[in-house]
Amino acid sequence: MSKKILVVDDSKTALMMEREIVERRTTYQCVTASDGLEAVEKAQLERPDLVLMDVVMPRMNGFEACKRMRQQPGTREIPIVLVTTRGEESYMEAGFQSGCNDYITKPVDGAELVALLQSYLGE
Amino acid sequence: MNGDKHTATATKSSGAGMNDLRLEAARKRLSESSSQQDAIEGLREIVANFVGSEEIGLFKVERRAATFKVYWSFGIDPENYDLLRSLGEAGLQRVMRGECHVVLPSRDRGAVVRVQAFVPIRFANQTVAILAILRLLPQKISFDRSDMELFKLLSEEAAKPLFGSSVHSMPVEGPGMRA
Repeated sequence: MSKKILVVDDSKTALMMEREIVERRTTYQCVTASDGLEAVEKAQLERPDLVLMDVVMPRMNGFEACKRMRQQPGTREIPIVLVTTRGEESYMEAGFQSGCNDYITKPVDGAELVALLQSYLGE
Repeated sequence: MNGDKHTATATKSSGAGMNDLRLEAARKRLSESSSQQDAIEGLREIVANFVGSEEIGLFKVERRAATFKVYWSFGIDPENYDLLRSLGEAGLQRVMRGECHVVLPSRDRGAVVRVQAFVPIRFANQTVAILAILRLLPQKISFDRSDMELFKLLSEEAAKPLFGSSVHSMPVEGPGMRA
């Protein structure tokens, strides 16, 4: 059974692109959510093998969603990679404080993203 | 302003296959827009996520007054932004002819000239609007070949989703307009 990635972004364009990369360049399955709150719910329901999540989103941002997932037993151990336009060190630090495992900046390089996913999930 | 202006050429690509996916996603996002407002949001998302900029202006060419009108902007104050000053007369002529115009980062009498791109939005062989990308995110230094391919796609395919049926009444008089 192939591994499952939860891709979270409020941008339809980013979601479309990241989904295309996952589904066409890897063997993983993809499920999506369009904000942090939906991501927390879907993570509980779908139990993905990895979460790839934007930071700036309506209803609940990526940092808060990351914290919530870390508090819940069913999602505590899932690797979380945050994706954002902000590359400052303080911002990245806030990401790690929220419990993420990795942090990548936009614009996302597709090849780098695939390599990162494979480093967590294997080929 | 004497930044190193030219019609951009390739510097590097992040992989042809990945770039095809990016172009396909951009095309799909624009063509599937449910309204002009959604197409504008799509354009913002494409520039933010694929190019790496959050300072954008879209200037519609106004035929009768021979000027440019701010159609939409994000991350800039359009009242205090002078399109022609950034673009220059030569740059304007290129863009009106349908060429993408890129300003590479440089220094002009001590002042920093930022990387910028001006993309003609074309319809029926006319430039009907100019997309100005005015600053890149700090982690991105300059434009690359894949950005140029994306600009070409926007130039050729964005007019109808962005302007809807009004695009048919948007012919222009050519370069030499006032910003």
